[in-house]
Amino acid sequence: MKVLIVEDEQAMAAEMEVFLKKAFYLCDLAATAQEGLSKMEENQYDFILLDLGLPDRDGMHVLAEARKNCPDASYIILTARGQLEDRIRGLDLGADDYLAKPFSLLELQSRMQAINRRKSGLNQSVVPLGDFAVDLSRRRVTCSGHEISLSRKEFDLLSYLLLHKNRPLTRMQLSEHIWGNFSDDEADSNYIDVHIKNIRKKLSAHASVEWLQTLRNIGYKIKI
Amino acid sequence: MKLLTKLTLFITLSKVAIVVLFVLLLPALVDKIAYQYNDYYLKEQKKKVLQVISKNGIGAYLQGEKNYGSYTMLKEEYISLEPAGRFTLSDTIATVRRVVEEDTLTYRVLSHVFTDNQQRYVLEVGKTTSTISQYNRPLQRVALFVLITLIVITIMTDLVFTRLLLRPLGLIISTRLVNRKFPFREQLPHISTSTTDFKYLDDSLIELMGKIKSAFEKEREFTSNASHELMTPISILQNKMENIMTDGELDEEVQKQIMGMMKTLHRLKKIVHSLLFISRIENDQFPKTDQLPLRELVTTIMDELDERLQEKRLSFSLQLPPEATIRNASHDLIFQLLYNLLNNAIRYNKPGGAIMVYDQHSPGTPFRLMIRDTGIGIPDSEMATIFDRFKKVNRNGQEGYGLGLSIVNTIAQYHGITITVSAAPGEGTIFTITFPDSMISG
Repeated sequence: MKVLIVEDEQAMAAEMEVFLKKAFYLCDLAATAQEGLSKMEENQYDFILLDLGLPDRDGMHVLAEARKNCPDASYIILTARGQLEDRIRGLDLGADDYLAKPFSLLELQSRMQAINRRKSGLNQSVVPLGDFAVDLSRRRVTCSGHEISLSRKEFDLLSYLLLHKNRPLTRMQLSEHIWGNFSDDEADSNYIDVHIKNIRKKLSAHASVEWLQTLRNIGYKIKI
Repeated sequence: MKLLTKLTLFITLSKVAIVVLFVLLLPALVDKIAYQYNDYYLKEQKKKVLQVISKNGIGAYLQGEKNYGSYTMLKEEYISLEPAGRFTLSDTIATVRRVVEEDTLTYRVLSHVFTDNQQRYVLEVGKTTSTISQYNRPLQRVALFVLITLIVITIMTDLVFTRLLLRPLGLIISTRLVNRKFPFREQLPHISTSTTDFKYLDDSLIELMGKIKSAFEKEREFTSNASHELMTPISILQNKMENIMTDGELDEEVQKQIMGMMKTLHRLKKIVHSLLFISRIENDQFPKTDQLPLRELVTTIMDELDERLQEKRLSFSLQLPPEATIRNASHDLIFQLLYNLLNNAIRYNKPGGAIMVYDQHSPGTPFRLMIRDTGIGIPDSEMATIFDRFKKVNRNGQEGYGLGLSIVNTIAQYHGITITVSAAPGEGTIFTITFPDSMISG
């Protein structure tokens, strides 16, 4: 998968690149709209991450022009919160998703996966997890054909951990994903434990859940 | 007092004063004019008499007698002729009493001394005063009537004209000042008036509002830029830490350190978020166009908060008619308002406590939504400041940054909602949300 990051803040672009490279994305960087647009002419991209607050051009125009050049790419818009958030939400700009800064890189990857899933059809969305199979599109967990019913938040947690498998995720990162803006720093971390306990209880009735590890004082990790 | 009322009062009172003055002066004036005219008339009559006498000779009248007196020559007035004494003054006009056939009558008498054949005579021409002033009363009455009619007409035209004249002022006040909402976003057309003062006022107001608007725009731009500037470094830090955390082979101690840093950063992020959120509400950036079923909204929020409710083993009761709907509201903001209040109701509750949401609506009173908890309550000393920003209160060891209720307050003000709190320390808190009529449908 090839990604173009159009972001004038070099340090941020660099962090995004580091993260996405680890997730096996190929990244190109562009610091200005001009540079971004010319890169789009030269290469084909699967994802274009576009900062709307570029110094040289109005982000909206850049998006419109980019979509003409690369109609097949998926677009995720990155904005400073409060700046254009509502306008973007209100307008159908043709972007696939948007993220308000500051965002978590984990969240970015999760959104990119979701877009991929949407665009590539249903077949690839079943991910094996030990003796279980997680169907990300239909939001189902099965074990040798038996469906295990998880609550909405339990499923969200499990799929988020699965997406970022082999990485430690802190309770705060998890609660931010589940509750978004409404996450309550201290309090919600405890609820993550409750949910994980429930997930373990429900799944271990069918097969081993050794892959779901607790990292003391830190959080959780799916190791496969 | 309104300008129009003042002017009306002034116009009416000044005209009434004129009428009163006129009524007081009128008899004297009419009298004076009547007498002046009469005196002039007597002089004319005198000339006529002298002409007649000099034509016919004085002897024709005296006929050997010493005096002559007659009503026949002038019909209306009497004349008398008699020789003048040595000290008789020359021409005088005076009001004197005369006895005529045993009646005492008041006359206006002109005395004239003239010489005929070296003999000085006094000619008197007189007229009864009752005939002089006989038309005074009807004249006064007519004059008064005409005056009052004229005054009434002028008062009416003055009032109509004043009303017309002041109409642009009312228009300026209502369109520029009363019905405008900060930050005066929409540009209104100039008020059409031929009065330069009003034009000046209108132009000045437009200019002033333009200045306010541009200052406000600048501030908003600043807020927006500041947010961008603040969020970018936070963003970079967060992403850097995330990248370090995903580096699998870190020792646990370092991971814990980074987690601590992430927590602090998260706190910073939340504070900046909250401040931006408040400033965006104050900047009027949320359209109030949604219609919200309250029962559904509260249910959705409570679903979100279910874990917290369960952890504290709190009971929740909701008594709201399904048709309770508010309109002219921003969904996101009202959601946030109720969310913050319900979240507080959970956070400051005691384990095993209760939360009650119910309405209070009787005819003639506005619709009120109550959120009641059986929590720790609010001490009186903190009551006055709970809605203030960054008012740090320490409850049960939990640190509050005072922004939750500050956001509630900002949202409430933005919608014209009134929120009152009553609380008993140790027993619980009741938040009463009173919606303005404009938000209640039907």
